Amino acid sequence: MDRQKTTGAMNEADLAQLLSHVQAGYADAWGELYRQYAPAIFRFCRRLLPAREDAEDATTEVFMKVRQKLGTYDSSRPFTAWLYKVASNHCWDTLRRRRIRQDLETGDVDALPLEHPDPGQLQRLQNEHTSKEVRTGLAKLPDRARMALVLRYYADMSYDEIADTLGVRRAFVGVLLLRARHQLRDALSETGASMAAKSGGRKP
Amino acid sequence: MNPSDDPLASHFDEVTALLYLEGQLDEEHSRDVAAHVASCAPCSQLLRALQSETVWLQESLMAEDEPIPARLVAAPERGTAHWGWIAAFGLCAGGLYTVWNGIVAPAIANMSQAGFSQGNVLNMLFFYGAFWKGWDAMRSLTELLALMTLGGLGIWLLRKQWRRFTPIVFVMGALACALLLPPAAAAADIERGDPSYTLPAGQEVKNDLIVAADRTRIDGDVDGDLIVFSSSLTVNGHVKGDILAFGQEVRVNGPVDGNVRAWGQSVVLDSAIAKNVMAWTGELELNEKSTVGGSLTMFSGTSELSGKVAGDLLAFAGNLEINGLLGRDATIRGDRLIIGPNAQIQGQTKYTGRRQPDVSPGAKLGSPIQITMLKTGPDYTRVRYYWHRVLLWGASFLFGLLLFLLAPGFFVDAGHAVRRIGPALGFGALFLFATPIVAIIACVTIVGLGVGITGLLLWLIAIYTAQVFVGSWVGEKLLGEGVGAGAVIGRLALGLAVIRVVTMVPYVAFWINVVVTCWGMGALVLALHRKMRPQLPAAA
Repeated sequence: MDRQKTTGAMNEADLAQLLSHVQAGYADAWGELYRQYAPAIFRFCRRLLPAREDAEDATTEVFMKVRQKLGTYDSSRPFTAWLYKVASNHCWDTLRRRRIRQDLETGDVDALPLEHPDPGQLQRLQNEHTSKEVRTGLAKLPDRARMALVLRYYADMSYDEIADTLGVRRAFVGVLLLRARHQLRDALSETGASMAAKSGGRKP
Repeated sequence: MNPSDDPLASHFDEVTALLYLEGQLDEEHSRDVAAHVASCAPCSQLLRALQSETVWLQESLMAEDEPIPARLVAAPERGTAHWGWIAAFGLCAGGLYTVWNGIVAPAIANMSQAGFSQGNVLNMLFFYGAFWKGWDAMRSLTELLALMTLGGLGIWLLRKQWRRFTPIVFVMGALACALLLPPAAAAADIERGDPSYTLPAGQEVKNDLIVAADRTRIDGDVDGDLIVFSSSLTVNGHVKGDILAFGQEVRVNGPVDGNVRAWGQSVVLDSAIAKNVMAWTGELELNEKSTVGGSLTMFSGTSELSGKVAGDLLAFAGNLEINGLLGRDATIRGDRLIIGPNAQIQGQTKYTGRRQPDVSPGAKLGSPIQITMLKTGPDYTRVRYYWHRVLLWGASFLFGLLLFLLAPGFFVDAGHAVRRIGPALGFGALFLFATPIVAIIACVTIVGLGVGITGLLLWLIAIYTAQVFVGSWVGEKLLGEGVGAGAVIGRLALGLAVIRVVTMVPYVAFWINVVVTCWGMGALVLALHRKMRPQLPAAA
């Protein structure tokens, strides 16, 4: 996994110079930084927020926050990590505003199916669904499950960063990710109707 | 790992497998898993399947599906919300400046020239100054304010939707229809005085009659309703519908088959009114010959009721003298009540005031007067005062709780909006002052009485609701941002209690209430805007 895959390549020296110019107040530098990273942040927000309008608003608002907070950015850390952190906090805040009753954190592995998934069926699921269908399935997931998957597999965040963003214990992140995968498999199985969600795998 | 006697149980569970793949297990645990996988085909298969799923997820999420929208091509230079509250404050400031310059200052100057004291400024301002010869200016001002409010609201609601042509056309079309169609469709004759208007005796208006003039005199008959904006109105003819009058002096000498609703400095009724009378007035006079077929509701400075009222009387009056017949119950709240020798009240009389009523021995009362005496200002020495405050707190808390349970999402939205103190205060002030103006205009010119009254009721509810959101904010500042319903309710309870306590402080209580109302109402408006924004289904 590499965050640069989502943000486009820009070497460290160029980025450092660009950031210093932005901090010095050069409008051109700000425009360049935006052009470089806005598409990735828009796609990131698009995957987190079900409504396209919200993703557009969020992109604008994230960059306004970035401009305000750029002074607090620690240049010893990767810029993209910091950028995704700002964006994910903003999107999570947006989602939380919509819904007070978040499902409470429960570290119970019992809630997960005991059966191992059938590798063959998992493979079929992957073969039968396009990227577009995966993203459609993702939009049907509960907010936190969707956030977890996107933070991990799009923004390449560490478990610590995910725990911090979602306000859960670090030990719970793995359960959260696995549960989200199960929910995504179920959502795709329902739409595809070609594969049973739960296979008769072996018992542990 | 799930060690057990059962050989199958020695397989790793799926969480462990995922954590292993993602490098989240400690070294020892990781070694165990690696050793097990080397000799266990099913677990090895599971790892491969999960790894394949990880790659599939990454590729699916990273696949570019849509280009960046056109509106996001240019980098944002400025915050999206700041202009909103600047505009709101600007509108408020403009409105206040215009009111002050156009009405208050001239009214005070006129009062001084006429030798009036500062004794009853409100009465002078609203019932004398505003309705004096400057009514046209007042009407223009209120219409302008209303249009500015509607326009501003429309722009604000649509500010992020410029790309959507259909909703803009729909909203603007609806707005245009609302403004244009009713006057064209209404069956009413509209007359404008030059500067006065007279409907001569013997002439009959077959429709409703709407008049705006300096002085209005109706000697002829009106088949429908009579709606008048005028410094002086005298009705000598027969009105078969209702009379709705705004003016300094309103005098009704002719019979009215419907209701009379009047706002003015002085209202004199000297005829038979078949239905109800409602009056907001400095002085109200119901002469001996006059009769009211229904009830009489009045908000008045000085009143004299010598005629007959068949229904109930509800009076909020400074000085009230009753010397006529009241067919049913009388509920009176005021400073002074005199019941004269010719008075006859057939129902029950309830009076609340600061002075004992003066009841003539000759007055005929259906039952003894129920008197409740009021004291000036809160009595901090009485337990009852504090009990009353507790009850008020309980009522607001229950209301907030109900709101939270019925609409938790909206409650949280408003809770977030209240943190944006500037915009919330700006929009709150705007809606607090503009809503009644718009509602009153809606009552008269745009859609109808029902819409206007509904708007006013919603406005009153919004005023009460405002404290809930500010209370929540105060609670959050004191207790912190706990998650879950219990924390929200706790914050609400504490915050409302704090508001109740600080509004017990003399002198500043009023201003605290104003700020709380503006702030909370602004949060409500912002949250409503959030709710009203269209949510598109996810496009993959």
